[in-house]
Amino acid sequence: MKQPFLDVKKISKTFHPGRDVQVQALVDISLTFNRGEFVVIYGPSGSGKTTLLNIMGGLDSPTAGDVLLDGERITGVEEKRLSRLRRDHIGFVFQAYNLIPVLTARENIEYVMQLQGRSRSECDHRTREVAEKLAIAELLDKLPGEMSGGQQQRVAVARAVASRPKLILADEPTANLDSKSAEGLMDMMQALNEDEGITIIFSSHDPLVIGKAKHSILLKDGQVAADEFPG
Amino acid sequence: MFRTICRIAWASLARRLSRSVLVVVMISMSLWGLLLMEGIYDGMTEQMISNAIRSDSGQLSLFAPGFREDPGLNRLIMQDGEITELLAGDPRVKSFVRRLRQDGLAATAHYSRGVMIYGVDLATEKRQGRLDTYLTQGEYSFGEKKRGAIIGARLAEKLKVKIGRKLIVSAQNSEQEVSAVALTISGIVRTNNMGLDESAVFIDMDKARELFMTPAGVSQIIVILQAEKDIPAVQNTLGQHFPTLQILRWDELYPALMQGRVMMNGFNMVMSLLIFGVAGLGIFGVMLVSVLERLREFGIMLAIGTSFAQVRGIIFTESFILGFSGFVAGSLLGGATLFYFYRHGLDLTIFGEGLEEFGMDVITYAVIRTSYFTTAFIAVMLATFVSVLFPLRLLKKSNPIEAINKV
Ligand SMILES: Nc1ncnc2c1ncn2[C@@H]1O[C@H](COP(=O)(O)OP(=O)(O)O)[C@@H](O)[C@H]1O
Ligand SMILES: [Mg+2]
Repeated sequence: MKQPFLDVKKISKTFHPGRDVQVQALVDISLTFNRGEFVVIYGPSGSGKTTLLNIMGGLDSPTAGDVLLDGERITGVEEKRLSRLRRDHIGFVFQAYNLIPVLTARENIEYVMQLQGRSRSECDHRTREVAEKLAIAELLDKLPGEMSGGQQQRVAVARAVASRPKLILADEPTANLDSKSAEGLMDMMQALNEDEGITIIFSSHDPLVIGKAKHSILLKDGQVAADEFPG
Repeated sequence: MFRTICRIAWASLARRLSRSVLVVVMISMSLWGLLLMEGIYDGMTEQMISNAIRSDSGQLSLFAPGFREDPGLNRLIMQDGEITELLAGDPRVKSFVRRLRQDGLAATAHYSRGVMIYGVDLATEKRQGRLDTYLTQGEYSFGEKKRGAIIGARLAEKLKVKIGRKLIVSAQNSEQEVSAVALTISGIVRTNNMGLDESAVFIDMDKARELFMTPAGVSQIIVILQAEKDIPAVQNTLGQHFPTLQILRWDELYPALMQGRVMMNGFNMVMSLLIFGVAGLGIFGVMLVSVLERLREFGIMLAIGTSFAQVRGIIFTESFILGFSGFVAGSLLGGATLFYFYRHGLDLTIFGEGLEEFGMDVITYAVIRTSYFTTAFIAVMLATFVSVLFPLRLLKKSNPIEAINKV
């Protein structure tokens, strides 16, 4: 049988926020994703979207279950290796304030590439390429504080995509944006998905945004309520 | 990546400019003050030591056995010819003088006081300890007929004498009889060596031999070396050649002054500790706030693949920049001020009269040692290191994911 690109196997996550208090954030979740997919994870607040994305991205560890990225286990891996894995294979976009405030847009975009030890000219070239696609070429010398929220999110997406990861995980990337900026950002992410063939999984509870995905997963109380391919 | 780390560290400090500047100023000001205190105290100590060495003890002094316990004309160094030959031929020796001395009495028409009469050779004394530079009145000479006397400043005050006045100097001679000589005061010296200033009467060596009726021998041979480090070795050599003589280092003759120098080393340590404390607390405050403010920022950096070592690198770099800037600024200020006081001296009378009574010079010339700066540097660097340990621990313990999710 063909191995899936991203394989989430029977993931459970229990938090212990206090003595004798348990929160079952994820319950026995199994999902598979193919390379090049454009996926949304949606569901009400508290349904476990962030927890699931964090576990799929190697930011958090599940209480039970495994995650395999391109056949490589990313659960139960020690932090040093995990950090390298995230750097080299996964791009992240968070809800807001993604950028390092003291670095310009260009420096933020180049940041992960520099962590990877890419050459100066490669960084330059790639930054120009992604800046073009995300329509932020004019913003490259600005600091995050000098940009609007939508512009900042585009720079964050540019950073995530610039290092050519296998997978981009975006946790409610449009939650803090007005609907026009949100739609713009989604269109650009979609274009990146199509142009570069990069797998993107994002979460949202905005119907407009959810509608853009070709694969949608509905979470309810930490369980998969629906796994569909509407597009 | 190193460039990016430095860039982030630098920019983060610049972003919190007033706070960063405050810490740098705090470190540099305290370093400045402490360097100044250290250099000036050290200057005082060294000047007191130098005065004692130049005016009396030399770096090494030779005495006949028993002389120190019971000084007298019957306990003189008689082999001074051999010693002179040995010292003159030793390349480690810079200069040496011979003195003949005896307790006596100095009297004017109205006053009299117990004194210490020194028979000296002014020319060699000038080369040895630059005795001439201590002259405050009169001239550095005993006159053509060698009937002059150069006396200590405090003694001159007590006897109420001036240059040109007559002084009758009497002492017990080697025949156990009292003999006297009438001299004219030709010079007054202030050495800030209390013993000498209170009681010294320097007279011509030959005059002293006449007065004491001692045709041969000297009481004390005083040696100054080319280099301080050779003191023990030369002491050893002399001891081997002249086992019967008592050969004492300056610090054996003036143990209190040596304690002063030992105290300076302690002072240096205390100063370094203070600098460590000031720098440590200052940097700690800034870095703690800075790390707490940036939990989310560091969280995101960690999430996208920055290693903890690199984050630690950023925090250390920031701390280092603060500490190092403070060190450089403080050292430049302190070094420049000390250099000024090293060249021009500091007039201590602004702090009060009567310092001479403690054997201190009125003008103190600061000392500058590289050790001031190296120990301060080590202290500051240690402080930059230690002060971020707690913020780093805090960061390590805090959950970066939680920090990211908190919007
Ligand atoms: N660090 C945590 N400690 C305790 N409970 C948590 C923690 N993170 C999430 N949870 C809980 O897990 C559940 C799922 O949260 P989350 O994944 O953030 O949902 P969503 O992103 O869909 O809003 C919620 O009930 C939330 O309170
Ligand atoms: Mg969430």
